[in-house]
Amino acid sequence: MGVLTGKTAIVGVGETTYYRDAGRTTLSLGVEAIRNAVKDAGLELSDIDGMTSYQAGGDSHGSNEMAQSLGMQLNYSLDIMGGGSSTEALVAHAAGLLAGGYCNNIVIFRSMRGRTGKRMGGQTPSGPVPAVAINTDGEALRIGVTTPAQNFGIAAMRYFKEYGAGTKQLAAVAMTHRYHATLNPRAFFYKKPLTLEDYISARWVSKPFRLFDCCLEMDVACAFVMTRKEMAYDLKHPPIYILGGSARTMSESPAYNPGRLNTAVHHHASNWASRRWMGMSGVTHKDIDTASFYDAFTFTPLIQMEGYGFVDHGEAGFWYEEGHGRLDARMPVNTSGSHLSEGYTHGIQMVVEMARQLRGRADCSTDACPDWEKGIHCFDREKGCRQVKKYGTQDSLPEVGFCGGWGSPTTSSSLVLSKFSSSN
Amino acid sequence: MTQSKPLPTPTPETQPYWDSCKSHAMKLPRCKSCSQFHFYPRALCPHCWSMDLEWVTASGKGKIYSYVISHRPAPGFQDDVPYIIGVVELDEGVRLMTNIVGVIPEPKNIWVGMDVSVEYEDVSETITLPTYKPI
Ligand SMILES: [Zn+2]
Repeated sequence: MGVLTGKTAIVGVGETTYYRDAGRTTLSLGVEAIRNAVKDAGLELSDIDGMTSYQAGGDSHGSNEMAQSLGMQLNYSLDIMGGGSSTEALVAHAAGLLAGGYCNNIVIFRSMRGRTGKRMGGQTPSGPVPAVAINTDGEALRIGVTTPAQNFGIAAMRYFKEYGAGTKQLAAVAMTHRYHATLNPRAFFYKKPLTLEDYISARWVSKPFRLFDCCLEMDVACAFVMTRKEMAYDLKHPPIYILGGSARTMSESPAYNPGRLNTAVHHHASNWASRRWMGMSGVTHKDIDTASFYDAFTFTPLIQMEGYGFVDHGEAGFWYEEGHGRLDARMPVNTSGSHLSEGYTHGIQMVVEMARQLRGRADCSTDACPDWEKGIHCFDREKGCRQVKKYGTQDSLPEVGFCGGWGSPTTSSSLVLSKFSSSN
Repeated sequence: MTQSKPLPTPTPETQPYWDSCKSHAMKLPRCKSCSQFHFYPRALCPHCWSMDLEWVTASGKGKIYSYVISHRPAPGFQDDVPYIIGVVELDEGVRLMTNIVGVIPEPKNIWVGMDVSVEYEDVSETITLPTYKPI
């Protein structure tokens, strides 16, 4: 196990509404999400003395601006560049800062106008550099490559050829995450199921990806609070401990094949983290009760599940198709609906959701579970309860969760969370 | 206003590559120490870290490693959709990203492993882009 395993915890989580058009700045969204997370922890804003965030190419306000706006005085702040894989890496970074005494209560946030501001999937000049970084002197732009849908589409096409997976398996991912969103009052697709017919009849974005293979761009901010174990006991909710993970493991781009690693499309960065996350956290795949995988596209959870070692290469799509990722199955995944069906947040909402699930306080509709805030659930999916339970039990709560961040060849992060501070 | 397609900006490390494309005879960097090719051009060999490199004329042939058919236009590509973006594995063992041309962009016409050969598109006074066409 790592020297900081179980030494820090997530104690508060919060977000704004998921908007198609917020009509608000990232500053306004950010301060609301931070306020909600701090209130959820049972702390005062004045207790927060550390803040860190990530953004994509200047698309948001930073920690200092948020703290100024909230009237805070911080002892530590840092904002990094990045989208997917940033949240889990910032958790690793925050664990070190808390243990080292640089600050006592730290907020991690992401605030974005992903729909009305800078769109990752937008074919605009303000768009990002390609996610798979296939760019010789800007040549990618000249051959019409600007979006992650194109890069991951290339990876997916080769993956299909190698393993015989295809449309049906991608549809299974879209429908699984959508099913979970239908139970989540916060999700864009709350109470709106997706049929195979809906999925197949939607328009093409980048073949092999149709519309519902792609995430749902949103204006939204999410935040959570971390603190040291000894500070965490007496707060409002059960603390959710950081057991370990991996932070921005990298690999080379399969588009160039420079040769040392002989990279194939399915050999992305998480392949180099599968033993690392287990060694650090002291748990293995069989201990994971629920998980989330960065679903920028239906394809990306597949290569992460495989890369992090949950199933063998080529098997993840069939795993989804067999229903193993749905609520009440072996390992429910992406239980909020996440990027495909709740709304796109560059990964942070999956950590927020995991903390809620491991607390036993998934925010179900009040019709289904009026006392969810006290951890009382009916586990009746028909009624609308969305709390995960431990597989094979009537009503035991999950104990250990895994968050996989991002499925690109060149960066990937992971995080293991638990309601217990030790894996034993 | 219709937006035009952006052009690559050569660097000192990549200039010989762009020059070779301009003369319609692509050259690739090869290591004199371990004799392996690499791409994109860079300061040293990623296989053995030697800095003793040379430029060698490529065969111009390769196979499609993977591809995607883009149905939404990048800036400047409004009139081109759908268009094919491919990763081609060259005979020399390196891969590069390119457009696949000379074929109707439907999956039945393109496949992983398909043989392709280079075509040169002179897009400006100084820049020629390599594209690949099924043989
Ligand atoms: Zn060499």
